[in-house]
Amino acid sequence: MNKTLTREGKIFLSLYSILLLIYPREFRRQYGSQMVLLLLDCERDASNRRALMRLWLRTLMDFVRTAPHEHLQNMRKENQFMNKLRTDLVAIGACLTLIIGALLLLNYGRSHQVSSILLFGHVLDALVFTGVIGNLIAFLLVRLTTLRPLRVVLWTFLIVSVASALASVAIASRVDPNFDAAKVVIGYAVSFLFWYGLHWLWAQKLKPSETS
Amino acid sequence: MFHILLALADKERHGYHIMREVDERTNGNVKLGPGTLYGSIKRMMADGLIEELEERPAPDLDDERRRYYRLTDFGYRVASAEAQRLEQMVRSARAKKLLPRTKAG
Repeated sequence: MNKTLTREGKIFLSLYSILLLIYPREFRRQYGSQMVLLLLDCERDASNRRALMRLWLRTLMDFVRTAPHEHLQNMRKENQFMNKLRTDLVAIGACLTLIIGALLLLNYGRSHQVSSILLFGHVLDALVFTGVIGNLIAFLLVRLTTLRPLRVVLWTFLIVSVASALASVAIASRVDPNFDAAKVVIGYAVSFLFWYGLHWLWAQKLKPSETS
Repeated sequence: MFHILLALADKERHGYHIMREVDERTNGNVKLGPGTLYGSIKRMMADGLIEELEERPAPDLDDERRRYYRLTDFGYRVASAEAQRLEQMVRSARAKKLLPRTKAG
């Protein structure tokens, strides 16, 4: 093991260090120095010139086989990441569109006193509020934990809806004597069903692509 | 992959030790090149089968650049399950007289 390297051994080692540049950067950064060290040990271990030649040939064959393989693995990983990112962006975009749509509709109804819109005012209010809070919490929990997404959505929207409805009823009934608590509760119930239903549909849509 | 699990079953080793152990155990039939070995190590670490030791060897005992690897509990269970599966296959092959019977005891 403590043998000194021949001149050819040093040249091949330098050549191998250059060949390592063909491996993906991340792989090279993590294991490049270890691979050179391994080859150095093997060269020191080679008993004669013939053994050294066999080692070089084997190392080159190994390089030809594994460098493309590592790139393929990398590409597969990047594709998975891009697909996940695209799915996330579509989901976030859809939620934002719905929330902004509901908000604009509510504002239009209030400013123009459109009774047909104001009839659903409580539902739209709840849709916007639970939409923002619930989706944000659910998104973070799904991304940062290993909990099952649909279960996270169910409990998040249930807790947010119930807490918001109770808070609204408690606060508004003190301020406004004509406050209709039933409408608020119905609004949050509809909002809960809407958001959970939407996430459930999204999960059904994702199922085939996840299993393939 | 099983060769690497087997090499790490009894103690932690660095890349060159793993390569030598596999080479010796298979009578030179399996020779792991640097790309094959570290590609496998990368995937096995990602799968939680092996882990890298945080401690490095003392400079007077070994090259401190070397990284040592060992089996995780999960890796040990996987290696054990695979060994049992292979044992079962050998037993079946022996029952069908594809292998000579071993002496009892």
